[in-house]
Amino acid sequence: MTGSRHRQAVRRGYGLAVAGCGLVLLLVAGLEAWRLQPVGETGAGQVLRLAEPPDRPRAAGPPEAPAVPVVPGDPAGVPGRQPPVALRAPAIDLTAPVAGVGVDPETGELALPGADRAGWYRLGPGLEASRGSVVIAGHVDTRDGPGVFFRVAELAPGDRIELTATGGAARSFRVVGREVHRKGELPLERYFDPGGRLRLTLITCTGPFDRRTGSYRDNVVVTAVPD
Amino acid sequence: MGISGTRLRRAGLVVAVAAAVTLAIAAPVRAQDTSQVFVVHGIPGQPVDVYVDGEAVLSDFQPGDVAGPLELAAGSYEIVVTAPGDPVTNPIISVPGAEVPAGANLSLVAHLGEGGDPTLTPFVNDVSAPAAGQARVTVRHTAAAPAVDVRVNGEVTFAGLTNPQEDSADVPAGTITGDVVLAGTSDVVIGPADLTLDEGTLTIVYAVGSAEDATLMLVVQVIDIAAGPAGVPAGSGGLAATGLATGWYLLAGLGALLLAGGLLRAFTVRRAAQP
Repeated sequence: MTGSRHRQAVRRGYGLAVAGCGLVLLLVAGLEAWRLQPVGETGAGQVLRLAEPPDRPRAAGPPEAPAVPVVPGDPAGVPGRQPPVALRAPAIDLTAPVAGVGVDPETGELALPGADRAGWYRLGPGLEASRGSVVIAGHVDTRDGPGVFFRVAELAPGDRIELTATGGAARSFRVVGREVHRKGELPLERYFDPGGRLRLTLITCTGPFDRRTGSYRDNVVVTAVPD
Repeated sequence: MGISGTRLRRAGLVVAVAAAVTLAIAAPVRAQDTSQVFVVHGIPGQPVDVYVDGEAVLSDFQPGDVAGPLELAAGSYEIVVTAPGDPVTNPIISVPGAEVPAGANLSLVAHLGEGGDPTLTPFVNDVSAPAAGQARVTVRHTAAAPAVDVRVNGEVTFAGLTNPQEDSADVPAGTITGDVVLAGTSDVVIGPADLTLDEGTLTIVYAVGSAEDATLMLVVQVIDIAAGPAGVPAGSGGLAATGLATGWYLLAGLGALLLAGGLLRAFTVRRAAQP
């Protein structure tokens, strides 16, 4: 009787120990899953509306304030593009120099500068713009370590972003949305857009990493509007 | 305003609503179905209101200004230009059936004809992407003036243009100095003017005004036409990777097995221990 009880206690203890080990493994894996959870999306609908053409006046009648943008055609008044030279996002302790970048002639992709600076798409709107998407992209990391946009995916609606032009003039933006797209499905025309409302578009990489190709699966896009 | 006026206004509303509905439906495929339309004012000394199908789209539009783009579905539009505040029944220019094609980029230019009468000329803008490092420059003769040559950096680049002809060239991006001379001469009638041609832009230069009234001038319109990149590769380290590697799923699976097995064992023992 006593031996049987003892045997049962041992068996129970053994079973509980095994269950405890299993629980620890599950917890560790769960923690890792929580740490590596995908970047969340927010404000996607609002970002989509920014790319739409402005509303047209609704009805006939007395002339009203035009919704159509009007610019002077004075040759001396055409400013040319004003490149941003610095970007600041206090919410993520980011202060970075910005360089103008174009397209890699071989791949057709955006030719980003090194990991220590962000790249402004210089064939699109700059700081002079009154409409369209000012695009600044940066590395989330490289083989050498974290890049300039390592924490850009942490930007949340309401966070401020400041762009500075040569000479110190600054322009302030407020984050309204964060979207994640598979790289093959990135709606490039909506982000590299000379039209629609004026907005700042920050792009970097996120998602699962493929060690064989050395690349991420997704892009994360943070959109901000003038403050 | 009598009954007919009210009817007219209702008709205008119906057209506006129909246009809005058309635009809404066309929105997802707007690249094919609608055109981007700019309006350029090239009549010196005469601010105007512009109506499209009875809608006031521009009011007190100033000479030398460029407006747009308007997104217009393909079709035929009535375009009326009046002096500010004037009724559409008293137009400066009236075009009853301006054809807007699908998927085009247009500039609608209010300007003086060669003889000096106000007119409206639609131009199709070549917005195909230029080669890397290049900018496109288009010149349009929309002035009450005889044939001209356009010189870029002192050399005749566009020769013998008459109202309302245009010509175009892709050039290396940079700053140029241009002027307009009477065709075949070096009599400068406009300029010289400096122009910055950014890579990936279309810069359209309009000669407007009247030689007789000494109001010749340039109006410049700039459109972004770069093709845009094919992608944004912005990471190669894997430090910011999200999602679990396969190993972690195996580990979690093992954990679940151990937990279930262990509990089952403890549970069955306890059951077996019941008297």
